[in-house]
Amino acid sequence: MKYVVEVKNLTKEYKNLKAVYDLSFGVKEGEILGLLGPNGSGKSTTINCLLSLLNFSKGKIQIFGKEMNPNAYDLKEKIGVVFQEVAVFEELTVIENIDYFCGLYIEDKKLRKQYVEDAISLVGLEEFKKFYPKQLSGGLLRRLNIACGVAHKPKLIILDEPTVAVDPQSRNNILDGIKTLRDQGATIIYTTHYMEEVEILCDRVIILDKGKIIASGTTDELKSLAKLEEKVTVEVLDLDEKYMKEISAFKNVEDISYCDGLLCITYKKGKNNLVELMDYLKANKIKYHKIFSERPTLNDVFLELTGKELRD
Amino acid sequence: MSIFKAFLKVLKSCKGTIILYSVILIFFAAFNMKAGDNTSNFVAERPDVFIQNYDKMEGITESLVHYLEGNANIVPLKDSENAIKDAIFYRDVNYIITIPENFRQDFLEHKNPTIEVQGTGDYLASLSEMYLEKYLKFANIYRDTFSSEEELIKNIEKTLDKKTNIQVTSKLDTDHLAEVANYYNFANYSILAGCVFVICMVLFSFGREEIRKRTIISSMNYKRYNRKLLLSNALFACLLWAFYVLVSFVLFGSSIFTTHILFYMLNSFIFTLCALSIAFLIGNLVHNREAINGIVNVVALGSSFLCGAFVPVEYLPDFVLNIAHLLPSYWYINTNESLKTMEVFNFESLRPILINMGVLLLFILLFIMLTNFISSKVRKLHS
Repeated sequence: MKYVVEVKNLTKEYKNLKAVYDLSFGVKEGEILGLLGPNGSGKSTTINCLLSLLNFSKGKIQIFGKEMNPNAYDLKEKIGVVFQEVAVFEELTVIENIDYFCGLYIEDKKLRKQYVEDAISLVGLEEFKKFYPKQLSGGLLRRLNIACGVAHKPKLIILDEPTVAVDPQSRNNILDGIKTLRDQGATIIYTTHYMEEVEILCDRVIILDKGKIIASGTTDELKSLAKLEEKVTVEVLDLDEKYMKEISAFKNVEDISYCDGLLCITYKKGKNNLVELMDYLKANKIKYHKIFSERPTLNDVFLELTGKELRD
Repeated sequence: MSIFKAFLKVLKSCKGTIILYSVILIFFAAFNMKAGDNTSNFVAERPDVFIQNYDKMEGITESLVHYLEGNANIVPLKDSENAIKDAIFYRDVNYIITIPENFRQDFLEHKNPTIEVQGTGDYLASLSEMYLEKYLKFANIYRDTFSSEEELIKNIEKTLDKKTNIQVTSKLDTDHLAEVANYYNFANYSILAGCVFVICMVLFSFGREEIRKRTIISSMNYKRYNRKLLLSNALFACLLWAFYVLVSFVLFGSSIFTTHILFYMLNSFIFTLCALSIAFLIGNLVHNREAINGIVNVVALGSSFLCGAFVPVEYLPDFVLNIAHLLPSYWYINTNESLKTMEVFNFESLRPILINMGVLLLFILLFIMLTNFISSKVRKLHS
């Protein structure tokens, strides 16, 4: 499969700060690539460099096999961008906004009209066509923002945290829309803070921190990088210190804590951890109400790799 | 939707303000037409004078009183000190002349009797004094020439009777031109405020960081986009100018169609272009919708007051006029004022006007250069 985007040794420096350092990655045709990282990790800088909105110090960016530059209008025609901040005119209605931004790409009025209708139905704004942006809720506004960015049916779509501060209903709608765009053949670069979105949407993930790639791969590949295998939580009313000591001595236990009636145990890789624990509780007649077992999330992977939460 | 249509939509949101500025201008013009003064003919003014005569009403005394009666309104007053003081205080009279007892006799005997006077100190009091001095001057001159009192009086009156007919020879309707000049002076405020407000609002809407980014990454050539936006704004400014010119035609009627109006139109058109360049400069500096209103008031009201759009330049102190020289409005208003008394249109008479227009064009050039400088600095900062 050919690469739609190829970034080689990208470096962007601001005086004494390296916002992005020696970044290399590619995005294959038809895939959704997740760019994951905390604030200031270099996600937006990378995207701005991709779009030639920022000059970069070193490196090479190719899109659809051609070098990207501010005057590459043939390339820009194939790219759609949805920025984190809502970029619409307060003075125009929903349909006028979409028509205006689509008009920056498509001059044919008839074709544009069809594209605008498609974009409206993609984000589910059929009932709000004549509404002005100030009459829309935050979620609907985000949907309008997406429609304005993708109405011209681009082949490469870059979405920069499109679901920030969005209600669950709108978020689901946006995620469904993104899947539809992928199904229609678009290649997507998606940046977010939200792990669950990455797990649902992305075929491949790149984790950035301090301007560098610290890990990349599919979500399963990333999870396999973690030393942790399992997290078990048990609801126990009362637990003696001696039991805690005995459990912490189990073969694969990495960490143990007890707080507010919840016993939390983190295991390294190993087998039958849950069975071993349940047998121990039964043998010692320790009463428990509920017991949960969880696989590590991308956040755990991120925490392990960087030592901080993704949303720090 | 084209850029121009989106521009019109943004413009529509400013229609209330444009209407307000236009209504203020029309109201001012209409008010000014009603309050206009008449200077097409000359009528000598008559001061109010009270004559306190203690001499007998005969001979040169009688002649003097008759002369004063012919040139002033003689006001009857009670012959008391309080009544005279009150009359002066309340401006019931402008001048009080006290002719002493035996004035006639003393004058003829060269004793130089003193006529006491009191006045309000204003222009009409000076005029009264002038009449009195005029009579006495001739009386003193002729006293040595003519031996008989009768002959003396006859010659004084003959000399004083010579009247000069004053006719305003100019073919200019100065009243009308003053009204037109005032209208175009006030248009300084409406054009400046209208252009700066609307164009700043448009540039704010189109220039918001997110929308600017979305436009730059689109397949439309950004220079072409800027050109379209610039033309849309220029078209608005031209339409605003055309509307105000049309309003002047409606307000002043067909009498306005003279060579003067062509220069008023040309001057206001150049000033509109200057307002456009000022608006672009401010639009590039200000990125806050709430601040625009305040800036419009400072720029439009400030320059209108400083440069004589609201208050005639003659009443402005020198230091204000010195500051006004630094503002385009001064040169625009200066041209309007010069046009109002201009009778002959040739290179020599038009030279100061052409210089003023040249200064306005230099201002336009300066503002464009400043705007480009700021834009390039901002672009560098963003990249």
